[in-house]
Amino acid sequence: MLEVQDLSVSYGGLRALQGVTLRVAAGQFVTVVGPNGAGKTTLFKTISGVVSPASGTVQWDGASLLKRPSSARAHLGIAHVPEGRQVFRTLTVQENLEMGAYPRAGRSQWARTLDRIHALFPILKERADQLAGTLSGGEQQMLAIGRGLACAPRLLMLDEPSMGLAPAVAETIFDRIAQIHKEDGLAILLVEQRVAEALELSDHGYVLDTGRMVLEGGYQTLLADDRVRRSYLGLGEA
Amino acid sequence: MFENILNAVAAGLIIGCIYGLMCIGLGLIFGIMKVVNFAQGELLMLGMYVSLYLVAGFTAIGFLGPYAAPFVAALIAGPVLFGGGALLHRFVLRHVSGLSTASRQDEGGFGQLIVTLGISLILQNGGLILFGSTPESVLTPLSASAFILGPFPTGALLFLNKAQVFAAVVAIVVAVVLWLVMERTTLGKALRAAADNPVAATYMGIDVDRAYRIAFGLGAAITAIAGGLMATYLSFTPFVGLDYVIIMYSGVVLGGMGSILGAFWGGLLVGFVQQASTLVLPPQLQNAAIFVVFLLIVGLRPQGLFGRSAERA
Repeated sequence: MLEVQDLSVSYGGLRALQGVTLRVAAGQFVTVVGPNGAGKTTLFKTISGVVSPASGTVQWDGASLLKRPSSARAHLGIAHVPEGRQVFRTLTVQENLEMGAYPRAGRSQWARTLDRIHALFPILKERADQLAGTLSGGEQQMLAIGRGLACAPRLLMLDEPSMGLAPAVAETIFDRIAQIHKEDGLAILLVEQRVAEALELSDHGYVLDTGRMVLEGGYQTLLADDRVRRSYLGLGEA
Repeated sequence: MFENILNAVAAGLIIGCIYGLMCIGLGLIFGIMKVVNFAQGELLMLGMYVSLYLVAGFTAIGFLGPYAAPFVAALIAGPVLFGGGALLHRFVLRHVSGLSTASRQDEGGFGQLIVTLGISLILQNGGLILFGSTPESVLTPLSASAFILGPFPTGALLFLNKAQVFAAVVAIVVAVVLWLVMERTTLGKALRAAADNPVAATYMGIDVDRAYRIAFGLGAAITAIAGGLMATYLSFTPFVGLDYVIIMYSGVVLGGMGSILGAFWGGLLVGFVQQASTLVLPPQLQNAAIFVVFLLIVGLRPQGLFGRSAERA
């Protein structure tokens, strides 16, 4: 469904991504882990068309995404839940969700997706008329995910959804993501620093380090790898 | 004395409603695009001339008769300047604003300053060539007649210029319609989302460049309608914008930058202060009075009357 091939991105001479290759199949849960500055957000921004790559391809259903304007992604069924949540602070919770449903697919399925979003995150129903800027961090994250779901996507891209959240709240968020994947059959591309939790949820994982994919594989493969255990999980040799 | 106060207050409120509409135009452009548009006064001026030519020049809407025609012409100036504003954005402002400049250090601010000042000069002098320097106005039989109310206590009579009263009513209706569009429709919400967080709006599938173009067109249209309405009770030349751009900025800042309702109330307040000041000051000092009030309010409430001072982080 989504195919990233040999992607390289530079910022003013600095190589942010180098020859990155990644695939997400329909209904698959794929996680990219890696430390700060590894290029995870750059990868997402390139897929979303906010950053243009130096070389490489990004394909969606076999067609190149790179020529399309950024705003086309949502209409094609790719929802991007950005790092730092980025909710519309001066709009109400309900209006944020309505903006998520801006693409035609979102509008035509609005009643059903809204029910689903409210079922996943009941707090969004309670706070419907409140300005999004007044929500707590965890609530804003729930809103950002709900807003992503509102366009009735086939792929949900989540950029560090646990960032800045208390462990208990982060756990709720991870539970909901797992639930969305399982019950809605939605493909998920997750970028995370909380490596253990993130890998546990996923079908397939990639390890990104200083702009390169250094490792990929299933949950068991990655957890068995010494580098992953030492660098990201704080464990000793297997 | 009571009669003077009564008349000044009433005139202030009526003129204030028209100023309020004029300010909304600027407030929309600033609030959504974060562009400080120095050419807004010239958009007002163009609204006046479009209205003038529709009524007098082409007699295109002459069949509406001398009463309705000037007001209909003012409303038609809206769509005309919407088109003009959208083109101006497409070919000029787009290059110094919006996502294309978001990564620059000043976010395109210097470019916007020079470009909008330049547009303002071009429109003023272009207007001089095209329209000439003779003061014009879109007079209607209403311009020279008044509603007379009263007598009030002490025998005071209230005179309300009919052209101004109808202009204020039209201004309020247009302002309410615009407010409903911004609050209730998907278009309005998308414009607010694009203003709030352009990158996130892009992720939602909103074409932010197009949203800004619509915002600039709407801002131009609203101010132009206000110009068309004002043309029914004052005379103007291509340089009329200079007098009003200052008033628009005061209104928008007083109301709280970026708030559409605020811009209306800010404009209303400015109109009110301007008229009320004539009670105690010579007319030449009207604008000085506006600025004394402006400085007082901004000193006490820097975020403006309706601006949000702080949000939860």
